[in-house]
Parts: sequence; C-alpha cells; structure tokens
Amino acid sequence: MKFTCMQNNFLEVILTVQKAVSARSSTPILEGILIETEKDVLKLVGTNLELGIQSYMEANIIQEGSVVLPSRLLSEVIRKLPDAEIEVTVSDNNAVKIACLNSNVTLQGFPADEYPSLPEISENQPIEISKMLLSNMIRETVFAVAVDEARPILTGALLEVEEKNVTMVCLDGYRLALRRGMLEVPHEDLRVIIPGKSLVEVGKILDDDDQTISITVSDRHVLFDLGLTRIISRVLEGEYINYKQIIPEDYKTRVKVDTKILSSSIDRASLIAREGKNNLIKLSLQDQKMVITSNSETGQVYEEVPLLLEGKDLEIAFNARYFMDMLKVIEDQEMCLDFTTGISPCVVRPIKGSNFTYLLLPVRIFA
Amino acid sequence: MERAILLVDMNAFFISCETTRRPELAGRPAAVAGDPKHRSGIILAPNYEARKYGVKTTMVLHQARKLCPDIVLVPPDHGFYERKSREVMQVLSQFTPVVEQNSIDEAWLDATGCEALFGSTLELAQRIMKEIQSKLGLPCSIGIAENKFLAKVAADMKKPMGITMLGREELDEKLWPLPVGRMYGVGKQTALKLNRIGVFTIGQLAASKPELLSDKLGKWGNELHRLANGIDPSPVLPHAIDEMKSIGRSTTLSHDLTDLMLAKKVILALTDEVGSSARKYKKRGRTIQITIKYSDFKTITRQKKIAATFLTKDIYAAGAELLKENWNPKQPIRLLGIAITNFESDEQDQISFFDFSTESGQKKEEKLEAAVDQIREKHGLSMIKPAILLSQEKNPY
Repeated sequence: MKFTCMQNNFLEVILTVQKAVSARSSTPILEGILIETEKDVLKLVGTNLELGIQSYMEANIIQEGSVVLPSRLLSEVIRKLPDAEIEVTVSDNNAVKIACLNSNVTLQGFPADEYPSLPEISENQPIEISKMLLSNMIRETVFAVAVDEARPILTGALLEVEEKNVTMVCLDGYRLALRRGMLEVPHEDLRVIIPGKSLVEVGKILDDDDQTISITVSDRHVLFDLGLTRIISRVLEGEYINYKQIIPEDYKTRVKVDTKILSSSIDRASLIAREGKNNLIKLSLQDQKMVITSNSETGQVYEEVPLLLEGKDLEIAFNARYFMDMLKVIEDQEMCLDFTTGISPCVVRPIKGSNFTYLLLPVRIFA
Repeated sequence: MERAILLVDMNAFFISCETTRRPELAGRPAAVAGDPKHRSGIILAPNYEARKYGVKTTMVLHQARKLCPDIVLVPPDHGFYERKSREVMQVLSQFTPVVEQNSIDEAWLDATGCEALFGSTLELAQRIMKEIQSKLGLPCSIGIAENKFLAKVAADMKKPMGITMLGREELDEKLWPLPVGRMYGVGKQTALKLNRIGVFTIGQLAASKPELLSDKLGKWGNELHRLANGIDPSPVLPHAIDEMKSIGRSTTLSHDLTDLMLAKKVILALTDEVGSSARKYKKRGRTIQITIKYSDFKTITRQKKIAATFLTKDIYAAGAELLKENWNPKQPIRLLGIAITNFESDEQDQISFFDFSTESGQKKEEKLEAAVDQIREKHGLSMIKPAILLSQEKNPY
C-alpha cells in the first residue's frame, strides 16, 4: 500500500477514529487503527468491540492495500510532523514508512486481516435528526448515567422515538435527566438503550451545524451515520426503568429562579461543600428567597438567592455536584423548581415548554 | 508541650489468651496454629518458650515441629481473641480516654498531662502493665516516647514485659543502625525500592534527600524521611466502629484450587462471615473487593462498585462475578479473600429512586438474613448455613 495525503487531514481523521480505541487492551491489535484503501479514498477504523468508528478521507492512492498501526503512537507521530504532504508506504512485512519533508519514520504494523470487522447494520429506516439537536440532547443528559455497574442498564441512555417526538433519558438512581426534541420526519416508535460512554464519544465528534445525520437501530447495534464518519455502538439489552413513573406531578412548593444567579451561588457553596464528606449543601426556602449554606472542616458559606416562591416553606439538602451538573447544561434564563418534602425529589423544568425535566433526589439529614 | 505517648503491645497475644483458659500451657513451648492436617497450618503465634527454639510466626508446622518436637499446638479461636482484645482496650481506657487501637493486640495512648493523676509516665506504664497482668492475666510491652512512631519503635525493643523509653537523642544509637525493613510503615516492596537506591539502614533513610525519596516513593517518601528522623506529629485518634474502613475475611486454602465452583464456595463461606459482621455493625458498603493469591504467591486484588449493601447475597453475587472475570484455570490459587469497603456515612443518606420503588425483594432478603443472624446468635454459628456449604469433605478450607 502506498498513498500521500496532507498532515492535518490525516491527523484529524486519526483523532476521530482513535476515540473508539482503548489505550490498553488484552489484544494488542485492538490498540491499533486499521488503515485501508477503498477505491480512491482512504478508510480508517478504530474499535474496542463495544464502540467502532470508521471514517473516510481523501488521499492520493498510489497502490492499494491495508495495515493496522498502533493508534497512540501513530497519532503522536503524525501530530508532530510539519503541516505538509505525507507519504505513507507499507512494505510486505507490514513495516510502514512515513515520510514528510525531511522526516522519515518507520513503524511496525500488524497485518490487517487480523483486525475485527465492524458489524453490519440491517437496512432499517433511519431516524433523521439534526446534528445540533442530537449534540444538545447528549450534552444535557449523559452526565446523569450511572458510573457503577450495580444496575448495568443504567450505564446507558434511553433513546425513545414516538413519531416526531424524540426523548433521551439518563438516570443513575440519584438523579434523572430528560431532554425532548422534535424530528423533522416522523419515525416509527422505538426504544433503544445506548451505552453512555459511546454517546460521549458521539457528542465529541458531532460539530453543531444544522446538517442532518441518520441513526439506524438494529437489535444489537446502533449506527450514527455522519456522512464521511460512521459510529457503531453496541446497545444495552434489557428493560429500562419506567422513568415516567418516578417523575412526580404534584408539588407543595414551587420556585421560579434565575438560572445564572442560582448557578453562581451554588458554585461558590460547592467550594466549601466539596471539602466535606458528602459534598452537602443545605437549601432553605422562605420569604421569597433561597438560603444556601454549607459547612465543612475548611469553612462555612452562606448565600442568598432571590426568587418567586409559591406554597410551603421548605428545608432540604443536596449533593452539590448533582445540582451543578444540571445547572451547567441548562441554557434557559429562568427555570422552575418543584418540591414536595425534604426527602422527596426536586423536579426542575423550563418556565415555558417542556424541553427538559431534571429530577434530583435530596440527602436525608439526621439532625 | 512535649507529648507523652505510650504504645501498649500485647505479647504473643493469641497464645497468651489461650494460656489464660488453659493454664497447663504456661511454661511449655506452645503456639496457636492453623489446622495441622491442612497446609493452612502455619504458626500464627508462638509463645516465648517456643520462640527460644527458633519457632516463628508464619512458619509451617513441620518446620516448627522439627525445631521443637514437644510444641503444643492450639487451633485459633478468633472470636475469643477479639473478646480479650476488647477487655484490654477497656482496661486501657480507664487510664486515659485518648486510646487509639492500632490492631487486635496493640494501641496508642496519649498520656500528656496525666502526671498529676498517675505520677510520671514511667510509673503510669508500670501501672498499666500490672493492671492488664492482674486483671486479665496477659503480658504486654510498653514503649514511651514523644510521638506515636517512636513509641512503636520503643515497644519493640524489650519483649516480653518490657517498658522502654526512647528519646530523640537516642536515635543514632537505637534506631538508625536497624535495617529499613524493620521500620514501621516499610513493607517488603518499599524496602526493596529503598535498597535499590542504596538505602539499607534507617539511619541512611534519615540522611537521604527527601526529594530523592519522594521521587521514588511519592508522598510516602517524605513521610518516611520524617519518621526516620523521629518526627511524627500525627495525633492519637480515639476511634470506634465509626472509623471502620472495611470488613473482610480471607483464608489460605488447604490445597491449591483450580476449580471455579470450589473457589466460589470458599468465597461464599467467607462472605457469610463478612455479611453477618457488616449487619452487626450496620455498615452498608458500596465496594466489594476480592483478593487472590496464586500458588506462586503473586497477589491481585480486584474491586467492583455496587449499590450500598450489607447482605450476604449481594456481596457474594459481586464477589463471585469478580472471581469469574479474573478466573484463570491455569493459575492455581492459594489464598482467597473478600471484603466490603466504602461504607455509607451514617448521619447523611443520599436518597435513591430505588428507596421508594417496589423493590420489596430487597426488604424480604434483609428480613431473611436478619433471621439467620438471630438463629446464629441464639443457637450457634453452624446451626444454619447455605446448603451448598453442607458437604463437608469437599470444602478445601
């Protein structure tokens, strides 16, 4: 195999497919990237068997062929080369010569036929969705997936489609994040649970222009087709939690508050809270304001946030991190918080519309 | 003000405990040891008569018998030693409330400012030693120094029944000539690393450049440098169950295991004990850790996070899964252990969706295991156990 291409193009595509490559694998070839000519373009593939990313790039193909190169090393080498034309030559024993201006690097590769092929996705009708919407949905929910394996299904995000309505839900037992959106083209109803880790990588690759991409779901896999780049992830099998059942409809205390003001107050309180054991902040709602306090060995903090309060006064405590994770992704200027008691969930919604719903469970304090 | 710190170290604790209920052992070479029929039979605690023959802790039985043919071997009874240990701590806490238990058989006391009550610190130490001997019939050694580290060093100097005071001015004579491996806080691996950079004695450690040490050993390097120079500002922290960081059990198997089913059985038997301990102290943990020592003595630990629990069933499920994930039939196993750590804090409790939802199965399981605990409390440990553990001869532990 032999081809030439531009350094910056090559690097960009390597960094894209590398997102699916594990830094350490029990099978050395999985630490590599497959580079293959396909007619007059170049195809790069990275996979960790759970997530696979394949991307095409333009190149001047001189001789067809394929090889697998260690991913981290290759990206470091290409990153450090000057922005000029690179010539890549693979010899019969999979030694790969990379030449660029006055530099010559030779890397030992693996034979390409040992590299696993990405699964084929059946030709179901794809979901058409704008890049921007998908990217926002991921960013605004995926932080709430479970990190521990106690309930493996919760390490994934639920993607739900009902005609034109699309919903993404993540929950880890202590909080829930839900984001709704509208599709341009209706799609038949479906539910699929995508590993949170895969979605994080998809989110990194999506640039938020308004173009449409397609998502195809099969029994075991989901394919995100971005045109030149295709991302294939395993899906999680099993029943997701019935999340609708845990979102309360009623409330005893309702608060309308400016997102930025609340966010900077809790951010300051977190500085003290995170020194403590449980990262705890206490909220006291009365007299049209929220008093936020936190104590730890390092100090104390007191914050007052003006707001509109309707209903009963309330004392409640939260893990500050759960609150901040949510506030970081809410872009609305104002939002609405509903409470029932000091030991029941707080429901966060927009003032207008129903784009998002967050649920935060409090910390019970034994005073 | 200079502090007065004591380290009380019980001498040959297990066998001394046995001697209190079996007076015939007194004056004869004896040791607490694992079951002599099995390989797990190693010497756990020889008394001083046996030590005269060269019998040492962790020595295998046949070697001990070769050195001392008349040695009396007693099987271990950890429950009894734990009770005795609590009695010792009880006695210590009569002298000062600032008692930090370091292990089953030793504790630090901060006696700063107690002179008005008990006279000099040396007199206090003599009273403590006498009190433990007369009340409980157990011997101990006591080290006295200005900090915890030096008190520990001092206590090791004269055994049994010794009281040693160690001042910082005596370090060059008493501490620095010792090999680094003898230092409290330096394990085999650390000693090896230190040897590699030319540090063989505690004195050489004290004279090393702290930067060099922190380079090789990280933060701990600086700490060791301070300790070797006799500096240890750490306070004596009285602690109770709240300070418990983990609950675990492990066992050396009577023969090497290559069968996953049998290994799982061992894990279940160990989990049974871990679970009932965790329930006794009402400690729900979020991390399950298993330890595997292979026949070549290579040891690995693997852990897994789960929803906070103290149920045998949940701990076992996680342990068995870890075992399966890390199973290699080509590597025979010599020791297995399981522990639960990362306990939930008691005062604050992050509420979970699953607290409200209809996971009544969990509640049921909690009632079931509580009932098992009660039966055992009343009628004894072996009255009820998982059916799979009933077949006697196949159990390799």
